[in-house]
Amino acid sequence: MQHLDEGTIHSWLDGALSADEAARVEAHVKECPQCAAAVAEARGFIAASSRILTALDNAPRGVIPAAAPARRIDPMVWRIAATVMVVAAGTLVVFRNGVGTTKTDQAAVQTAATSSSAVALKAPIHDEGTVTTAEPTTPVRTKALPGAANAARALSKPPAMEKRGVATGEVGANAQVARSQNVPAAPPAVQTFAQPMSAAAAGAVAMDAATEQPRALKVVGTPRTVGAKVTLYEVAPGDTVTLTEPVAVQLLQSVVTGVAGQSKAAAAAPMRRADAAAVSAPEPSVGAQASRVESAKAVTTISWPDPVTGNLLKLSGRMPAARLQEIRLRIEHERAAAAAEATRRNP
Amino acid sequence: MTDVERLFRTYNAALVRYLTRRLGDRDWAEEVAQETFVRALRQTSIQNERAWLFAVATNLVRDEARKDMRRRKHLALLAEQEREEVVEPEETTLERAQEAAMARKAVDALAERDRLALLMREEGLDYNEIAEALQLAPGSVGTTLSRARRRLVESYETLQKSREEREKNAAS
Repeated sequence: MQHLDEGTIHSWLDGALSADEAARVEAHVKECPQCAAAVAEARGFIAASSRILTALDNAPRGVIPAAAPARRIDPMVWRIAATVMVVAAGTLVVFRNGVGTTKTDQAAVQTAATSSSAVALKAPIHDEGTVTTAEPTTPVRTKALPGAANAARALSKPPAMEKRGVATGEVGANAQVARSQNVPAAPPAVQTFAQPMSAAAAGAVAMDAATEQPRALKVVGTPRTVGAKVTLYEVAPGDTVTLTEPVAVQLLQSVVTGVAGQSKAAAAAPMRRADAAAVSAPEPSVGAQASRVESAKAVTTISWPDPVTGNLLKLSGRMPAARLQEIRLRIEHERAAAAAEATRRNP
Repeated sequence: MTDVERLFRTYNAALVRYLTRRLGDRDWAEEVAQETFVRALRQTSIQNERAWLFAVATNLVRDEARKDMRRRKHLALLAEQEREEVVEPEETTLERAQEAAMARKAVDALAERDRLALLMREEGLDYNEIAEALQLAPGSVGTTLSRARRRLVESYETLQKSREEREKNAAS
């Protein structure tokens, strides 16, 4: 047998050889003084290297700033970030609920006045006493934040059904509800600072609203919405209606996001939900100038095909259908005038 | 006891010791060990736990070293100088510190693969585990270890001799 190489000797001493190999090595070492010396030397190296390595165990702490794995973010940073998020979300919820509560109170007042909740739901909830800022944001977009969608839902819910709880599972469906309407369920970004009104005051407001003279329509905002042109008209101080006009390019179909994915699922069974029952699908309706009237949680929507483009126009507001029809005529009149003006300028 | 707890209790001491010997800094070693166990958490199944843990720890160190090797080298040098300059009140402590400094130098003088194989072996990994962790052929582990041990001891003895000569010169 050849002399043992150093690797084999170490393998043998480390017990890494198979039984057969170990037996062969052992037999050879007994007979070969040269290899026996090599084995002795190897034992020395093994013991010495272990001893040398032991000297490393009293390594000082922190001599080298451990920037490396310390790149992990300090847990405290996460804690602070989480706290900020919770506070911010809480503030939003409280604020939004505050808006809803105000409306709820008003609706409740009206319910008491009319002794019928059904009537109250359809009755104009006229926010005469509220200050509506003329800076609407897009109510629900493809990438609607759960909070925003929820807030919109909370606002659009009948007062009796309003819940503070956040049911995230319904957000997608809810986003679809608002999206398919292409109309904000409530005037978007309504900032209400009004105190709940007394019954008498509410009654007076309702009377005022009924007798109000038509004023010039004022465009107070054009929130950006995918797939539709949305115009916000102020028809009375603090009272807005939303005109939604689909644009030629249906981006709604091409934009795919998580919400959109959910929306498709929601669209598969759009009428299952009670919430969705009052919402119309966005397809063009039949009938030339006929308009459809839908009412969802005090927000009435009328829709009719545009005589020029054939697009389905929608007008929503917290007012009766008759008033919306009247506003529709004014809008159509103004649009016709604007179109004539444009033609005159750029023939 | 969860699986990770068991892993931690079984291997943390060896892993930290291995990394301390490898890195020369216990804090750093502990951080790398923790990161290794965090990675283990994400695994659904690990076939050979010990080999896996040592391999991941080694890779973490290597990745890290690659990223800011220059900075670390500089800092390690400073730390080394500081260690050598430290004047300990007691003879035995000084002796021990000098031994540690020499051991560090001797270990650092090894080729990376030799050093890692030796440090893993010292923590009880068998040849197959070392081969797996370092992606070596199992048959080459004996050769790697024998070379590592010999070079380590020879380097250390060289350092020891030069130190003794320095001391002799200083005394005379």
